[in-house]
Amino acid sequence: MKIFSGLRSISLWSGFWYLLGVLYFILPLYATFDFSMRLERDKYNFVAYQKAFADPNFLKTFAYSNILAAVTIVISLLLVVPTSYWIRLRLPEARRIVEYITTLAIVIPAIVMGFGLVSVYGAPINLPFTSIQLTDSLLNTRLGTNFIIIMGYTVLALPLMYRSIDTGMRTIDVRTLTEAAQSLGANWTTIIVRVILPNLRASILSGALLTFAIVVGEVTISSIMNVPAFSPYLWLLGQHKAYEPAALSFASFLMIWASMGIIQIVTGGRAQAAGAH
Amino acid sequence: MAYLSLTHISKQFGDTVVVQDFNLDIEKGEFISFLGPSGCGKTTTLRMVAGFEIPTAGTITINGVDVTNNAPNQRNVGMIFQAYALFPNMTVAQNISFGLRIRKDAEAAIKERVQEMISLINLEKHADKYPYQLSGGQQQRVALARALANSPQVLLLDEPLSALDAKIRVSLRAEIRSIQKRLGITAIFVTHDQEEALSISDRIVVMYEGKVEQVGTPFQIYNFPKTEFVANFVGSLNRAVAEVIDTAQGLLSVDGVQFSSAAKMDGLKKGDKVRIAIRPERFSFASEQKKANVVDCQIENITFLGSVVRVHILIGKTKFTVDTFNYPSLELPKIGDKEQVTCSREAVLILGPA
Repeated sequence: MKIFSGLRSISLWSGFWYLLGVLYFILPLYATFDFSMRLERDKYNFVAYQKAFADPNFLKTFAYSNILAAVTIVISLLLVVPTSYWIRLRLPEARRIVEYITTLAIVIPAIVMGFGLVSVYGAPINLPFTSIQLTDSLLNTRLGTNFIIIMGYTVLALPLMYRSIDTGMRTIDVRTLTEAAQSLGANWTTIIVRVILPNLRASILSGALLTFAIVVGEVTISSIMNVPAFSPYLWLLGQHKAYEPAALSFASFLMIWASMGIIQIVTGGRAQAAGAH
Repeated sequence: MAYLSLTHISKQFGDTVVVQDFNLDIEKGEFISFLGPSGCGKTTTLRMVAGFEIPTAGTITINGVDVTNNAPNQRNVGMIFQAYALFPNMTVAQNISFGLRIRKDAEAAIKERVQEMISLINLEKHADKYPYQLSGGQQQRVALARALANSPQVLLLDEPLSALDAKIRVSLRAEIRSIQKRLGITAIFVTHDQEEALSISDRIVVMYEGKVEQVGTPFQIYNFPKTEFVANFVGSLNRAVAEVIDTAQGLLSVDGVQFSSAAKMDGLKKGDKVRIAIRPERFSFASEQKKANVVDCQIENITFLGSVVRVHILIGKTKFTVDTFNYPSLELPKIGDKEQVTCSREAVLILGPA
């Protein structure tokens, strides 16, 4: 009986904390949604959403941020997957150094990074230790600005992307799987594409989602760089309108949740298969 | 010419010498076991054959081709790992076909070969299952089929049974041996389990601290260990210090009790002290059938080990053990009894000077 009463008290407490956690996340979201539905006095409708989506700047900034996010995800993956793989396979002693480097993005405030990027790349770039100019300021062109901001976002996303991928690597025995594939005649490309990446599907998707959330929600660097990104637009909208920003914030949440749901559906079975061996 | 040759192989990691001047010739179809304690260099040697480690010195040839510096994917060597190493994202059939697809075999040939391999390991009903849906023993059988699918020149097994429970281990090792014999494939099996090595191998290579201690058939290794390490590591052993009495007749004395040995006594003279060894099962009680050596002893203790009964005895002042099969009509002496034990001259091994 004591055991059962113990279990009951444990489940009661877990239920309480679970509920508290749910309320902590749901209440502000509900408040935002509720507020966004009250644009017209004494009415409860989606007018704020209609107005927000009808603004051509919304589509423009949203599309721009999505493209930045997609490119950042690709670059982050190209950087992190081989690095993490090689560390697990051949350089385990380098793991701490890489972990330290990736945490710098959390330690250094975004505003410092933003000004740093502007001050370094805002000036013409010379050949190191010479006065020979290689290129004019990268920030003078749209392409150069996009390149710099994507690099900045890649650094910002590094801690989350690296940890996602590294956790995935930990769940599979990278070294033995690599050796098994090698003994069956596979080369490096085949091993990465057919053995390692499919088993990292869940971690890659979660890393991609986190990167997407960071890029779409990032204000500081995009404001400093003066690019037409979604978050600065949202912030600007909030300066002179009340209901539309709330509607867009709520819509952003829904979009991220939908992405998470898709990840769950896509990776559910396979992620389990990859993890349980 | 041997099918697989390891000639003067050495491997160093920094200042640590892991394998030292390893020489071995293996014939086609032979089943060789590398046996030794952890850190003796057996797995490193296997990994050098697989190509995962490059020897610091020496050469490895397979079927007359020097593969010492070849990459692992250019050796056509099948490998089975302790941790199974099945690809978690692939089904049993996909795992088995992996190497065939890399080799770009025709689709029909792949299907046929996969079927053949699945039948070989008796997992016909599990072809579409993922590794996590299989037991450890089944996973290792899939790993065996996957390694064999490419018809490798050599099959390497790195402690493949260590992660399995005792019963599965015994049945799977018999299955591995049977498949190896049926296919006539050359195999190297790494283990630290002497029973496994003795039961499965054509020849055993006993290793210690990076060196080969002895190479021989299980019978030779067990009955005629060449070094003290082999004698100690393989099987149980009674050890004692004896004094040489007569080299011509092979007579020795342990605490004044005389033993006759068939071992060579080259270089020894009367009065020399030597270390001798007698396997517990080579003793029997003299009431059964008397052999060359019949010595007085006192019963100290009796331990039941299931199929075997271990009797602890005192010969002179030296403790020995006697192993006898346990059967219902077995009449055991009582603790404290004075008895006689007997053993042949061949049972008394001389390990070296004391």
